[in-house]
Amino acid sequence: MKNLTIRNLSKTYFDPYAGTNVTAVHDVSLDVRQGEFVSIVGPSGCGKTTILNMIAGFIPHTGGEILLDGRPVKGPGADRGVVFQSFALFPWRTVLENVAFGPKMRGVGKAEREKIAYEYLALAKLTEAAGRYPAELSGGMQQRVGVVRALANEPDVLLMDEPFASVDAQTRMTLQEELTRIWQEKRPTVIFITHDVGEAVFLGNRVVALSKGRVLEEIAIDLPRPRSWDALNDDPRFKELSGRVLQLVRSA
Amino acid sequence: MMQHRLSSALWFCAPFAVLIVLWAVLIPYFNFNPRLFPLASSVIQAGIEGILDGTLIHHIGASLLRVAVGTSLALLVAIPLGIAMGVSPVVSAFLTPLFRFFSVLAGIAWIPIATLWFGYGFGAITFVIFNAVFFIVTYNTLLGVSTIPLHVRNAAASLGAGRWAMLTEVLLPGALPNIVTGIRTGLGFAWRGLIAAEMIATNVGLGYMLFVARDFYRTEVIVLGMIVIGVLWLLLDRLLLAPLERATIERWGMVQRA
Repeated sequence: MKNLTIRNLSKTYFDPYAGTNVTAVHDVSLDVRQGEFVSIVGPSGCGKTTILNMIAGFIPHTGGEILLDGRPVKGPGADRGVVFQSFALFPWRTVLENVAFGPKMRGVGKAEREKIAYEYLALAKLTEAAGRYPAELSGGMQQRVGVVRALANEPDVLLMDEPFASVDAQTRMTLQEELTRIWQEKRPTVIFITHDVGEAVFLGNRVVALSKGRVLEEIAIDLPRPRSWDALNDDPRFKELSGRVLQLVRSA
Repeated sequence: MMQHRLSSALWFCAPFAVLIVLWAVLIPYFNFNPRLFPLASSVIQAGIEGILDGTLIHHIGASLLRVAVGTSLALLVAIPLGIAMGVSPVVSAFLTPLFRFFSVLAGIAWIPIATLWFGYGFGAITFVIFNAVFFIVTYNTLLGVSTIPLHVRNAAASLGAGRWAMLTEVLLPGALPNIVTGIRTGLGFAWRGLIAAEMIATNVGLGYMLFVARDFYRTEVIVLGMIVIGVLWLLLDRLLLAPLERATIERWGMVQRA
């Protein structure tokens, strides 16, 4: 089992404007089991993106440890796929080539990696867009590409950094439903960062509420799957869970 | 699309046609001294003669070869160096002042020392071209690399890109819009520098052709040379550089269509 273990993680950096050291993440511990979907929710500046960047290996942590499958994380690697808020697609590559990028880096041959890419594109209903360039797609389409590009590389953990924050509300709901469907089909391990309480509850098996760089509480989400907004909008259990998380985040 | 191309080409040629008609009509009308300004017909005559006896082709060939060699060598050095500067703040910080200094000097100022180093002719002039292209392309490559969003580089790293893949898959294509701009600007400077250098430091080439014609009061050859220089540049820019831009970076949506 490829579990992700975060123990006493902290991040302190020097703020040249304030002239002092600032601690963005305090002593955060978290266990994510293989196949789990964990949402981390908190307001802007709570340290959630910093945590994700440390797990991804984009920035070093200053205390504690991050273990994936027992091995400490050092720098970025293909075992941790990332979906970015800004999509971060390669503008000079077609949709197909973007999705085939990870397999290409692993040395998979052209025919085989395009087969893989088409399979994942079909999963997100993107087959038609395979030959187009990212600039020719809407924001929602671009982020679908971003999600399947990360998935096609079959990472041990999928790290998603507010991936749906920059698309319109209707598209966001569709993308959330699609993500739950894809998650059920492929069962990737996901850490999903968001400031949107409803989104965190809708998607996750578990919600970690974060404030000022500390974990406030973890709440198990026992809503049945498949999940859809039509079914959950008026669901009392969904409302109860969302209410609890919202209260936590706001009270801190 | 085709029709659009055709009409924009026509619009591009229209002012030149007017200019040529005015020239063909006004110069004979006012009975201008042909030693000061040639008749349009004698320029055409000189052009035909130059093509038939091969001298014009010879000069054009020499000039184009210098540009091609100087530019290719410059790109071979400038792009790797620009990328190295783009990824390493230390290299960039160290070299930037030098680049500021030499980009002012680039061009004709190198002629005297270049002729001492390489002798008159091919070497010295190619060196001047090299200079004109090298500094601009290096600087633009550096600029291009530094404009690639950090997220895009992070995305490649988290998809398993190593150093080499990062270079070929991200840094080079990411910097390409700026590199192409650099080549276009650099070649423009190189082309001007070439003509100047050829007036001083060689015995073949378009600049030389112009300069020697002056000694014999062959104004029709001078004007012919000027027209050829301008037309060659427009062809180079329209047929080589602009299509390159269209085929890549405009398609990628990385620059707006002008």
